Amino acid sequence: MKKIKGTPLRVSGSALVAISLGMFASSGVALADGGGGASGLLVSALLILSIGTIMFGASSVSDRADTPVALASVAWSWLAVSIAGALPFLMTGSIPWAHFDDALFESISGFTCTGSTIFSDIEAVPRGVLFFRSMIQWFGGMGLIVLAVAVLPALKIGGLELIANEAPGPTADRLTPKVTDTARRLWLLYGGITLAMIAALMVVGLSPYDAATHAFTTVATGGFSPYNASIAHFDSLLVEFIIIAGMIFCGANFSLHWYAFKNGPKAYHRVSELRWYLGLIVGSTFILIWLNFGNLSLGRNIRESFFYAVSLGTSTGFGTSDFTIWAPAAQVVLLTLMIVGGMTGSTAGGMKILRLQILVRYSFREIVRARHPKAVVPIRMGAVSIDEQIAAKAVGFILLYMGLIVLGGLTLAGLGVEPVTAFSGAVSAIGNAGPGLGEAGPVSDFLVFPRLGRVIIMFLMMFGRLEVFPMMLMFVAFARAVSRSRHTIRQ
Amino acid sequence: MTPRPSRGGPSLGRLKIRITKSLHVVKLAVRGYSNGRVESVGAVTVGTVALCVWPMFMVCALFDSARGGSVWLELSVVGTTSAVIGLFILRYARVPKYLSTARLFRALASGTLASLGIVMVGLLATGATGSITLALVEAASTITGTNASTIDISKIEPGVMLLRALGQWIAGAALIVILVRVLPHLGVGGLDADGGVATRSARRLSPKSSGTVFRLLLLYVMLTALIGVGYAAAGMPLVDSAMHALTTISTGGFSTQLGSIGAYQSGPIEWVAVGGMFIAGISLPLIFLAIRRKDPKRFWRSYEFRFYSLVVLAAASFVAIFARQPLTLDIVRSSLFKVTSAASTTGYIDSASDLTSAGGQSLVIIVMLIGGMSASMTGGFKVMRLLAISSYIGRELKRVIHPTAVLPIRVGHSSIGQTAFSRIVGEIFLSLLVLIPGALILTNGGLDLEGAFSFALSCLSNFGPAFGGAAQINHLSELSGIGQIFSAGLMVVGRISITPVLVVLAFITEPLARTLRRKSFGRRKMAVR
Repeated sequence: MKKIKGTPLRVSGSALVAISLGMFASSGVALADGGGGASGLLVSALLILSIGTIMFGASSVSDRADTPVALASVAWSWLAVSIAGALPFLMTGSIPWAHFDDALFESISGFTCTGSTIFSDIEAVPRGVLFFRSMIQWFGGMGLIVLAVAVLPALKIGGLELIANEAPGPTADRLTPKVTDTARRLWLLYGGITLAMIAALMVVGLSPYDAATHAFTTVATGGFSPYNASIAHFDSLLVEFIIIAGMIFCGANFSLHWYAFKNGPKAYHRVSELRWYLGLIVGSTFILIWLNFGNLSLGRNIRESFFYAVSLGTSTGFGTSDFTIWAPAAQVVLLTLMIVGGMTGSTAGGMKILRLQILVRYSFREIVRARHPKAVVPIRMGAVSIDEQIAAKAVGFILLYMGLIVLGGLTLAGLGVEPVTAFSGAVSAIGNAGPGLGEAGPVSDFLVFPRLGRVIIMFLMMFGRLEVFPMMLMFVAFARAVSRSRHTIRQ
Repeated sequence: MTPRPSRGGPSLGRLKIRITKSLHVVKLAVRGYSNGRVESVGAVTVGTVALCVWPMFMVCALFDSARGGSVWLELSVVGTTSAVIGLFILRYARVPKYLSTARLFRALASGTLASLGIVMVGLLATGATGSITLALVEAASTITGTNASTIDISKIEPGVMLLRALGQWIAGAALIVILVRVLPHLGVGGLDADGGVATRSARRLSPKSSGTVFRLLLLYVMLTALIGVGYAAAGMPLVDSAMHALTTISTGGFSTQLGSIGAYQSGPIEWVAVGGMFIAGISLPLIFLAIRRKDPKRFWRSYEFRFYSLVVLAAASFVAIFARQPLTLDIVRSSLFKVTSAASTTGYIDSASDLTSAGGQSLVIIVMLIGGMSASMTGGFKVMRLLAISSYIGRELKRVIHPTAVLPIRVGHSSIGQTAFSRIVGEIFLSLLVLIPGALILTNGGLDLEGAFSFALSCLSNFGPAFGGAAQINHLSELSGIGQIFSAGLMVVGRISITPVLVVLAFITEPLARTLRRKSFGRRKMAVR
């Protein structure tokens, strides 16, 4: 049989196979728990596995291996797994078939590590499905393609571009000469941290199920919790502390963690982005404590301010209370944190600290230039200067990011959502944070948005996770492929 | 009533020559007079501003006594005092021989502060405002053309009323001078007469920049007269129509009535206001050239104008759709009014009820942020810059596919240099850096989240009205003292743009930063990224 030449098809197939493994695991959990949903999960696992195998087996890597192909592969495979991830919710009856778009919403919110939910009563959903829900965030965190490249050398679609387009941030570090090795190391680290989180949470007294689900979503900085009250369900300082530590760790660059693991903690010292990241979290914690002073008791104030500064600063979105009743000024701080997000190369969302750094230098350079019109001022990060091209790309990205927030918020408001909810919802969706302000707070769900509005939010979440450019170019590449095939047929 | 500058009959030409000559004589006299020892461009600017407001205060005092007001004495005293102080300063200061960019920035900042201070003193002296912070914010909204006020219009003296309207108008005229004479040298992204973008520059309406200033000022006066006649013809009382004409063309927005334009409850008046505000959002050099060459197609050829009209029309139709009411002429007028008021950042309010739809409110805020065309009297971000940015985004998208391609940033047929573009970007993000703390302080001052953000944006684009919990124009009175001072700061930043403010501040911060850098160099060296 002649194989279809299409990298996107092959990559999507391998990603689907990976997802089906997650479904098998979840159905096992459902079976052990006895809460139902095992058969539904099993059926969808078999279905996705067969589709994935066929797609993978029937295709081969295309001859061209340029950027558009890589971008299209990433974007199309993400679309495929999002649809596949919606299947278990429908099969187990957690979401009726008539609301298939809600299932898709939940799935996209999971894979993009956003953590917004449409379940108004989460605890009514079978525990096996909730396990799967946490698991898809875990898959989405490090990226399925990175996983595929790591474990499937047969994919033969090496090339840093693929990983770079999936990993958050403007650049991807090459840890080793071989991309497969890099991907393998990243996933090894990721898995190791997850195991450590599970162990730590179990030590402080959580059941294995609770520990695993929360570890998955903490490490992926996703924010799904199988309980309505999120972290407040446990009401334990120790659990909160461990989760805060996990979020801070995973909101930082994973390559950096790898270097630190290999060469000792001095590696952390050398990166100015880390200083900015920690500075932003600590600084906003203090501002939040100051703004909440008097509204909350001191202990509660420190605890919640720190938790939310970390939870939104790393775009996780776990909740311990309702911050929409805080002072409006405190909510402005939270909104800013949601926009900025975590470090590059981490699992966090937002527009990333490195880009903020570039932006600040870029803007302040104009002031220096205004005073000294003929000065040549490089954009510095620490002691090295950044290439103009990279700076230009980062600036273009941020402009597009802002534009999408405005456009998304405007459309949501046009559908009749109250402006604060609409704009904060757009910020939260594109920053992959989870909760918004106004009516879409941490104790609420995203059913406050109309049905069409949720579709827009889905797009924003995808744009945010895949860093806008791949999504935009997915369609460009598709159109190009179509026109090229037409061209060949005519010849 | 077509304004026909320059090429008109011989009388206009003679008038022009006479005015130019007398202006030249005044300039020479001032230059000869101000020949002191202190070489400071800031002081000279302050002196000139203090001297120039004297006629304004005198006109207001005359008007006040003619209309039976009781503050003409105060007004004339303030005006005369400032003139005397101005003369005193000019006697001992001198324009430096070499005008560096930094000095121009200082001139701009000190001129703004001087006019702010003088108007503030005028308002305090006439007793129009109670506290100093209120006087500050009132003065800021007067000189920046923002329609945010706490003064109860119905209880105010006629002289103060004229002071407010005339203040906005003269600030607009001063802006023309700044646009043509100062900003091209500063390189504040996209603010100078041609938006820093087009190759066929507006500064070159005539070979000499003073000629350009004269032509644009003449056009400004004529447009004011045109709008005033329009208001009068639509049935507005004569004095009111004059005052509204002053604040329409300068996109200031102060009104003589409590309910702004809506107080007249008249359709024709609102249509005239819509037209006036739309004109005020158009680039003045463009209007001038179109009239001069008798070539209305020139408007259509301007890429920026097309986009500006498109924004206004599209936004108006969406506001009408979001209102979810049967389409009547009233709805059309009301939505057009709201959108032109926002796009030109005038801040008038019409007779129809508040915007209740969430979409309409957000849209008005966005349109207000975009503002009018470059080289118009509007605040806001300016359409030209928006076009430049969208073109840049498109280029970056293309560069992802073709990483090594050399692609220019285009607006219409002209391309924008990288330097001009980075200035625009710097301008946006630096204003964002001011906006977020601003919103934070305004929320602490007593506004809710939506109110604080929309009011901060509104101050920054010199619009005035805002949304949220408080009524459309009541935000200022709900704020605490610090909030009022901050909103005044936002207005000033919005008018002269953030770069000059920061450059002036950089005189303090730059040496500080240098010292800090020297001290922490060892630590910095270790950072690789």
